[in-house]
Amino acid sequence: MEQVTRASWESAYAEVGDALKTADTSKLKPEELESFRVRFVGRNGSLTALLKSLKDLSVEERRVLGPKAQELKEKLDEAVASRQRQLAAEADLAELSQSGLDVTRPAQAPTRGNLHPLTQTLQEMGRILAHMGYSWAEGPLADTDWYNFEALNFPPEHPARDMHDTFYLKGIPLLLRTHTSTVQIRSMESQRPPLRIMCPGRVFRHEEIDASHSICFHQLEGLVVDKGISFADLKGTLSTFLQKLLGPQTQTRFRPSFFPFVEPGTEVDVKCFLCGGPGCPACKHTGWIEILGAGVVHPNVFKAVGYDPEVWSGFAFGIGIERVAMLRLGVRDLRLFYENDLRFLRQFDENLV
Amino acid sequence: MRISYNWLKEHVELPMPAADLSQHLLQLGFEVSEHVRTGAQFTGVVTAKVVSKDKHPNADKLSVCVVDDGTQKWNVVCGAPNVEAGQTVAFARIGAVLPGGFKIAKAKLRGVESQGMICSNKELGLGGDHSGILVLDPATPIGEDFAKGLPCDDILEVEITPNRPDCLSHRGLARELAAFFRLSLKRLPAHAPAGSGECFPIEISAPQGCGRYRARLLEGVTVGPSPDWLKTKLASIGQRSINNVVDATNYILHDMGQPLHAFDADSLKGGRIVVRWAKAGETLKALDGVEYKLGEQLLIIADAERPVAIAGVMGGAETGVTEKTKRILLESAYFTPGVIRRATQGLRLRSDSSYRFERGVDREAVDEASERATEIMLGSGGGKVSTARDEHPGKEERPAIVVTAARLNAILGSEFPAASVESALNAFAPVEKDGEALKLTPPSWRGDLATAWDLAEEVGRMLGYNNIPSKLPSAALKPARALPAQQVCLRCAQRLADLGLSEALNYDFVSEKLLARAGIPLEGVARLANPVSEDFALMRPSLLIGLLQSAALNANRGASGVRLFEIGKTYRQTGDKLEEGWRVAGLLYGPAAEPHWRGGARALDYFDAKGTVADLLRGLPGLEWRAFDAKSPLLHPAASQTVALPQGVLGSVGRLHPAVARAWELEREEVLAFELDLEPLFELPATRPAFVPFSPFPGIRRDLSLLLGREVSYAALSETVRAAKAADLRGVELLDVFSGAGVPEGKQSLTVRLFFGRDDRTLRDAEVAAAVELVVAELSRRHGAALRS
Repeated sequence: MEQVTRASWESAYAEVGDALKTADTSKLKPEELESFRVRFVGRNGSLTALLKSLKDLSVEERRVLGPKAQELKEKLDEAVASRQRQLAAEADLAELSQSGLDVTRPAQAPTRGNLHPLTQTLQEMGRILAHMGYSWAEGPLADTDWYNFEALNFPPEHPARDMHDTFYLKGIPLLLRTHTSTVQIRSMESQRPPLRIMCPGRVFRHEEIDASHSICFHQLEGLVVDKGISFADLKGTLSTFLQKLLGPQTQTRFRPSFFPFVEPGTEVDVKCFLCGGPGCPACKHTGWIEILGAGVVHPNVFKAVGYDPEVWSGFAFGIGIERVAMLRLGVRDLRLFYENDLRFLRQFDENLV
Repeated sequence: MRISYNWLKEHVELPMPAADLSQHLLQLGFEVSEHVRTGAQFTGVVTAKVVSKDKHPNADKLSVCVVDDGTQKWNVVCGAPNVEAGQTVAFARIGAVLPGGFKIAKAKLRGVESQGMICSNKELGLGGDHSGILVLDPATPIGEDFAKGLPCDDILEVEITPNRPDCLSHRGLARELAAFFRLSLKRLPAHAPAGSGECFPIEISAPQGCGRYRARLLEGVTVGPSPDWLKTKLASIGQRSINNVVDATNYILHDMGQPLHAFDADSLKGGRIVVRWAKAGETLKALDGVEYKLGEQLLIIADAERPVAIAGVMGGAETGVTEKTKRILLESAYFTPGVIRRATQGLRLRSDSSYRFERGVDREAVDEASERATEIMLGSGGGKVSTARDEHPGKEERPAIVVTAARLNAILGSEFPAASVESALNAFAPVEKDGEALKLTPPSWRGDLATAWDLAEEVGRMLGYNNIPSKLPSAALKPARALPAQQVCLRCAQRLADLGLSEALNYDFVSEKLLARAGIPLEGVARLANPVSEDFALMRPSLLIGLLQSAALNANRGASGVRLFEIGKTYRQTGDKLEEGWRVAGLLYGPAAEPHWRGGARALDYFDAKGTVADLLRGLPGLEWRAFDAKSPLLHPAASQTVALPQGVLGSVGRLHPAVARAWELEREEVLAFELDLEPLFELPATRPAFVPFSPFPGIRRDLSLLLGREVSYAALSETVRAAKAADLRGVELLDVFSGAGVPEGKQSLTVRLFFGRDDRTLRDAEVAAAVELVVAELSRRHGAALRS
């Protein structure tokens, strides 16, 4: 092997430098680029040989010449890398112009189910009332005459009982609750005032089933007991509740009515949100839709649970879940809620916005 | 209750048109469910004479008439078969508007101009015969506005709540309106003569049932048709006229709200009236023709020998007034509401009378009602009247209610001035003032007023609920907190919906037929005493029956797959006790996904149901899958499992029993079902997931393909893997199950994946190999498993 001298190294260096300088990598295909790279830095590449032969020179010479060789190497690497980037971009361009995918075909969504529209309605009411400070309360569906009637100021022979067609169980001294107001009594019996509760749940009426009557439906009961609670609190609470439930533009109307367990009693109407007032079939051409019953807790109810009506006062309200759901969803036939046709059940996804 | 506007105006001079009445009544707490205008609903119709009638030149069934309306003669084409020259008719001139907004204009009918229309009853909205034109009395003057001659009224159907029996009459509602508008109620004085001669003696032996009984004896009264005014009045509220005596009692009932009864006095034996409890075994054939068995709880009116009326409900057939009646005993009474209520409930018999008595009539109006009815009967039937007998054992002083305006304002949350409060109260009863205190004795007809709350409502009604301010109760008392039950139910529902099931709701009732179909024994199933029908006679012992019904309905309606769940109560009877508890159930049937162009979906199977339940219950501590406890007859005994918590069994999941699937015709694919008791979950303390750190070092997986007997369950196998106590084993998963080509008869090939890892370092291959060897040895020892090469 020939002795490497500074001069011979420098001549070889110039040769490699010239070869690099004159080379045009910009048109090389991928495989040509690879052989170009190998020509210089492959095992027998000219630049490889140049770098290897550095070790035969003196330390001083290496110190001067080494960086020059490195510089050449960097130039080469950069030329190769730049062409590689170019080639990748060209390949992407070809791929991106035609993927062969018909993106207009129908999507496939993961299977999911729906909550029943009544559950959705109930959940929303519950959320609103929870924000207003109401706690959940609960009671059995089969209950005694005491909880369903007597403690609620329906004396045994009172014709007001005619307002509730009741189911009785055979051989069991229980009835199926006709309203969620039973829970008022149960809650007041089990806790001392003040209290603020809500209770959604099923109730039962002995009726012929048709588009607007069901043997079973859902109500939500609310009860507030504290010192100094008045009819005005009832008005404010229910107006707020109905606005949150039906929209901020909701107008309410309170008119006298009768429920044995409240005095004064009221029925609450909202301005028909379908026609806005002039009258339509949904509001029976009155412009108003009856939506809930309420009133100031009757002193006899307080007496039944051992609260002193001179100290405590309160109000109670009951709202029909089906009624609200029907109005909000535009459902005209109550039976649809209990038929469980999937074409019905799957319609009522809560909107994202 | 039907109310006539004209009738109402006899009691109070109402300033507002009938159209506004509904609105005012509503503010007072009375809903008007129907409002019908009667009388003329047309304009521009006059009386006219048909001068001549000729055949229409171009139509057989039409005629051309000349009609004289008193000012001019008109050519009119008429299609009625009964039109004749010389008739006086109702003629709609050009410009007339008939009911329904139908406007009369000039028209050409088959080439002949018609300048108006001769009207039929129907065209005028008068009902009745419409086979031809309406032909009027020939004496009717022509050229008169035909509408003027017709009675016009507004009939309202008013709903009276049970607390206001005093409003079950025209006078009652008039009184209410008078109070509201501060109008005075007209007095309708009775002019019945004082009478002479004795009435039958009256004995009230049941004063708890009868607080007052007044009777008069009318002699020589002719029972016959009622006078026209009476007939018209009753007809206006849809009441049929019977005779002058019965109509008089009926009139007073609707006018004053006091039910009356007229006996044929000659048919009353022994010439006396006894108000008493019925004796066991007594019966009475009532006016409806039905023979009623009277019990000892029942109040009756008797003569000297036998019951003659069910007090307050219905008179007896034998003692009723007929055309032949000459002497009448007129009863006007006050019966105790609860007593009458018991009678109507017990006998399942109701009448307009009992409806009022069971709500409470005005004890103090008993005499006035009697006097006014007497006057009508004498006026229309002649005769004379005895003096009155008036037994009044239940007379009582109503206690006064003492309140302050401030107290009433506190109940209402209002700031009505004291003077307004006082004047509102004064509108229905005189108020005595003593400093701040307002003392008020409720009028005899207002049995519903007893407390400050009752008066607060009156003030609210009189001054308007809309004048009470709105406010929100101050200070939330306690932060709202969900009870576990509702929270758990809602979370369950949300999870199952997220898992692809839709929520169904079924009635709590099922039929015996469906239980038999499901193979559920009737024992312990609670039953309704008064079901609406056999279909809804039993309290459901399982939610799956309803879901099967829903699934079958959807399948029949063409749904490709059904995935439903329900959360609800189920019931169980033990002796005279009922247990009700929350459950969740689900039912899966059909393909795992909707058909899609990317590929057909496999059918759902047991592992989808199991996965649904496992995911629903994820995170519950101590959850255990056990062999099926065979408690549910609805599930396949060899393709089901039972899920339990340390606190108790929750329920089972499985393939539906083939007989049940067949019974509901769900046979196309496998049906999967689960039903779980939610009650044990309500007892669990609420927990939330806590962070568990994971290893920063990569884990190592090893897959083992094992050949082993088919009888070895995966549960046993995975248990053995764990039991081998291989170092750093983190988990095991089943990757593949295979039996077929290459696997000997009676064997199966299972591929399991073992996960190894440490928290402090990366494992070395040799360590893992040793651990795997240990596992394989244990599998081989316990199950004779061999590695497949």
